[in-house]
Order: sequence, then C-alpha cells, then structure tokens
Amino acid sequence: MATEVKINERIAQVEMLSRDGNTVMISIDGNNYKADVVMVEDGIYSIILDNKSHNIELTRDENKSFVVTTYSRSYDVEIVDATTKYLKSRRRDHGLEENVISSPMPGKVVKILVKEGDHVKAGDTVIIVSAMKMESEYKVKKDRIIKDVKVREGDTIQSNQPLIVIE
Amino acid sequence: MIKKVLVANRGEIAVRVMRSCREMGITSVAVFSEADRTSMHVRYADEAYFIGPSPSSDSYLVIDKIIEVAKKSGADAIHPGYGFLSENAEFSDRCKREGIIFIGPSSHAIKTMGDKITARKSMMKAGVPVVPGSDLITDEDDAVKKIREIGLPVMVKASAGGGGKGMRLVSDEKNILSSIRAAQSEAKAAFGNDAIYIEKYISSPHHIEFQILGDNHGNVIHLFERECSVQRRHQKVVEETPSPLMNPEIRDEMGKFAVAAAKAVDYSGAGTIEFIVDDNLNYYFLEMNTRLQVEHPITERVVGVDLVKEQIKIANGQELQIRQEDLYQYGHAIECRIYAEDPENNFIPSPGVVKHITEPLGLGVRHDGYVYEGYEIPIYYDPMISKLIVWARTREEAISRMKRALFSYKITGVKTSIPFLQKIMKTPDFVSGKYNTHFIEKNTDYLMKPQEENRKLEDVAIIASYIDYIDRLESLKPASGPSANGQNNWKNCGRRLSFNRF
Repeated sequence: MATEVKINERIAQVEMLSRDGNTVMISIDGNNYKADVVMVEDGIYSIILDNKSHNIELTRDENKSFVVTTYSRSYDVEIVDATTKYLKSRRRDHGLEENVISSPMPGKVVKILVKEGDHVKAGDTVIIVSAMKMESEYKVKKDRIIKDVKVREGDTIQSNQPLIVIE
Repeated sequence: MIKKVLVANRGEIAVRVMRSCREMGITSVAVFSEADRTSMHVRYADEAYFIGPSPSSDSYLVIDKIIEVAKKSGADAIHPGYGFLSENAEFSDRCKREGIIFIGPSSHAIKTMGDKITARKSMMKAGVPVVPGSDLITDEDDAVKKIREIGLPVMVKASAGGGGKGMRLVSDEKNILSSIRAAQSEAKAAFGNDAIYIEKYISSPHHIEFQILGDNHGNVIHLFERECSVQRRHQKVVEETPSPLMNPEIRDEMGKFAVAAAKAVDYSGAGTIEFIVDDNLNYYFLEMNTRLQVEHPITERVVGVDLVKEQIKIANGQELQIRQEDLYQYGHAIECRIYAEDPENNFIPSPGVVKHITEPLGLGVRHDGYVYEGYEIPIYYDPMISKLIVWARTREEAISRMKRALFSYKITGVKTSIPFLQKIMKTPDFVSGKYNTHFIEKNTDYLMKPQEENRKLEDVAIIASYIDYIDRLESLKPASGPSANGQNNWKNCGRRLSFNRF
C-alpha cells in the first residue's frame, strides 16, 4: 500500500517494494528506484543511487515530519499517514491555525499593542517580538477582535507558541 | 608580565582569544550569563565566573561585574574581544584605575576615534585624506554654500546620527534645501540635536581597511588591507585580502596613512583604519575601529602574525618585534561569516538547538566557531555562529577552496547563511573581483533566485525520510512482556533513549 509523503508543496505516492539489508526497492510516483541506504550516524543517511553518493541529514519532529538537508537545499518532508490525515481534518474544521498569532522563531516579547476585547483593523500591528537583535512586527490580516493575550511584555517565548488569540 | 587574562566576551571571539592565551601559557578566565552556562567559551576556559541574567545589558556590559570578577580571580589583564565593552572609553579608564591591564588602547584614543567629527579633525591635522566635507552646520545658507563648494552628489548627515537615520543623499540641485531640512528634522526627532555636516558622496564605494599594530614605545606598523565590500545592510558578509582592487603603489600610500592615523592618537594595540575607496582608487579615511575586528583572521593567515598574541605582548609593555619591512602578504585569504539566519525567508534569525554539525577540515581551512552538537544558540546575542577562513596561493584557488569548505560544512537544526554564501562564491562579479558595496543589492536577483526544482534530489530526500519513518515505527513497537520478541529490554530502552536524544 502506498503512503503519501509531502515534500514542500508536492505530494508523492511512496511504496516500499522490497528490502534486503541495505538494498531498498522503492517506488515514488511510479518511478522505481533501487538504492543502497545506510544510516551512518543518527539522522544522517548515506544513499547511493545509480552510483551517485548522497549525504542526507534529517532532523525529526515527532517521528513523521522532517527537515531534510541535501547538498544544495533543504526540504520540509511530512509522512501523511492515517493519524496525520485525521488530525489535519479536525484542525481544519475548527480553523485553529487562523486564529492564533505566533512567532516562527523563539524570542522575547518586546511590546504588546492590544488588550483583550480590542477591535483591530486589517494590517494593524498587535505584537512585536525580538530575536537576536532583530524585531519583527506581527499584524492581523483582517478586521478582528482580540480574544485573549497569552503572554506579557518581556516574556521569553518558544517558536509557534500561541501569543494572541483573535476572533 | 600578564599571567591570567579575563576575557570579557562570549562566543567564537572569546574562544579565539583563549586559544592564544593557552599557547602563551596564560591562564584564561571566562565570564558567562545565564544563557551561556553551556557555551563553548565556558568549557574552554581554565576558570569561569557567573555574571548575571542573559540580556547583555545585565551581564557582559556591566563594568562593575567584570571588574569584580577580575579582582576575585586575580586576573592581571582583561581582553574585551569585539563588541560589548571593547570600544568603551570608560571601561578602559576604569581598568587603569583599578590596576588591571586593559588589552586595548587608551580611553583618549577610543574617545577621539569614537566621535566622527573629532576623528575627522585629528585625521586632517595628521594629513590623512578625508572625504571632502564640512564642519558642523546649523545654518541653512552655510550648508547650501558648502554643498556648492564640494560639488554634487553629497551626503547630508546628522552629527549625532547612526543607523542611517538623519542621512540624505542629494544628487540634484533642486533638492538641496528640502534634503537639508529633512535631515535636520529627522536628526532633531531622533537624537534631539539638529547639527548636520556635509560629505561628498562616493558613488561606487569600496570598503577597504588597514590592520595596524602600535606599541607603547611609539612604534606603529600596518599589516596591509582587507577588502570588506560584500555587505548586507551594512553588515559585512565576506572579506578577503589582498583586495582585488588594490595595486602596490596605492597599498603603500594607504598603509603609510594608516600608520600616521594611528600615531595621531598615540595608538597602542591592534586597530583598524577604515577607508572608503572609489573605482579610480581615490581613498578617504572613514573611521577607526579601536579593537580587534571580526575579520582579523584573514590578515593573520596572509601575513603570518597572531594578532591576539601581539595585543597581549603590547599590553605587557613589550616593544613590537615585527618591523614593517619584514612584512609581506603571502597568498590569498577569504572569510565567510556563517549566521544562524534563514536566507530563503528574508534572513530572519534562526536560533535553536544545533542537532548536528560537521565542520570543514582539510588543507588551508580555518574554522573559528563555538557551537557544538546539542548546543542551543541563544536568542539574546548576535546570530553569528562561526567564521570560515580559507587560504590558498591565488585568489582563484582560494575561491575554489571556499566552495569546497562550504560544501562540506553541515549544520542542521538551525537555518544558516551557508547556501547564500555558496551563491556569492559563484556570482560572476565576485569571481572577477569587480565589486563594491552595492554588490549584494546589484546581484539580488542572482543571489535570491530559488534553487531549481530537482525531482531526483527530492526523491532521494523522500527515500531517506521514508526509511527513517519505517525503521523508527519498527523499533518503537512495544514488546509485550519481558523479552517477548527474543530481544533484550535494556537494549530496547537504550535504543529508544538514543532515538529521543534530541
């Protein structure tokens, strides 16, 4: 049975055909590959494909999403198995992601420009976060009402931690 | 003689200074903030003292705390590195009063060179060419008169300015008045001071600096130039020496002026004279950095002098052993600064845990860094991870070597500027050596062009992820009861732990 693997914006159908020691036969979107795959260090794979040597490093997030670094670029890869699909459909129903403002990088809250109950207009800055001497402003995309402010000025925050909930 | 040095800094520069201390048999003392308990400089030093909360204003910048540690540890000298307290005249003075050697210049030199107008005046007095310009002006008519005298284009700058505020470029006669007024009001708003000055605008500027060393006995030498024109938002990205623009006559002239500039302020220690140079090799004094520079290793590599050791010897009161006529540049060196930032996402800083790092090695490669596997790059400080320095006999070979070193440099867990640097090494303007400070702006399209889609490589990435996913599913299946699958539970436990390590 094929598994869906999402790499950046592409979704590929992946199926393991056979495996014997390091030798793997794998089908990706109908192309069959025979590769020699060895994990040489934790998270680092040496892959020989058509006698070309590739060093692939990956960092894992909860076993099924990866940041994969090849020589020339890095990819976000996600294994879309049944559990992932289920969780995704639930999240979409509740529209969770849209309503929370968070920062993609860890840092410190410099300034909060709104409080609970405020009506803000599209493009208004609601919070300023600083990381490594650089400040970033986070704005709302549409006219919104502030539902909850989850952090205070001066707080240290993690990446993707919910900062402000909007309605 | 200095026996113990407190390094009032962190990160790669603290480690770099301690390396020279170790070679000289000098004990090193580290100071660290809350965020830096696990930083490499603490691990490398002989002694380490805690100095307070993570923000540098509560730790690395607090003079009292640094002095207290110096006394407690019995350090006889303090090396400030770069940044933090390195160009703080008060700190230099305070060390002197407390009977601790400050490895750097006197407060007089720091103060004179720290103020743009005073620096400019003392350079003019010493006969060093400065960018044609005016004194401080508060009157509009005077400003207009002066601008006509210098000739367009000019820059109108606020005397208290910095960070691009209160600066206006005037290239058209009809904009003179409006630009003066705008610069004045901006300066007034930002700094509470509307004094301005006028400077000739150099339209294709190169940033070229000269390394100097001065001792306490009046001897000053220069160690040639560094070309620092590859800059992004006034931050240097790549430096090289010799400069592809330079010729022996101009180098000699500029070197002499650099020495004269240092002598004008009785400079002691390592310092850098920055020049702005146009395409026709007209050069003007820009400013002096009264400290060790980030990019000092390329000079060390090409000239063969350990600048930190020289700083310490000078601080010891020793006379310079190197004479100008003994120095020459051998081969070519390039430095790339590796930042924890995401070049594909507008260079936003990318702090976090370094999951894996493979540092480049091999002939002609030097790596000045401080991060290691499992180290969390803190959010409080500069995002520079390391400096990669290569040396080769020719510029061409040095570029190939840098490409090779960047190829084998792998850091995962945080995003880095390595892919961006790889592209710079391939940019035709860089390869030909014909570039100025507009290099990155001019080549933005080339540098920021997304990598071409590569199906095959994507598929290889998929294979690695898929195999990893399957193998982990297998190994994480719980065993039902003790050794139900004929495996050892201790072994499984260990396996699980090592998988969860990060």
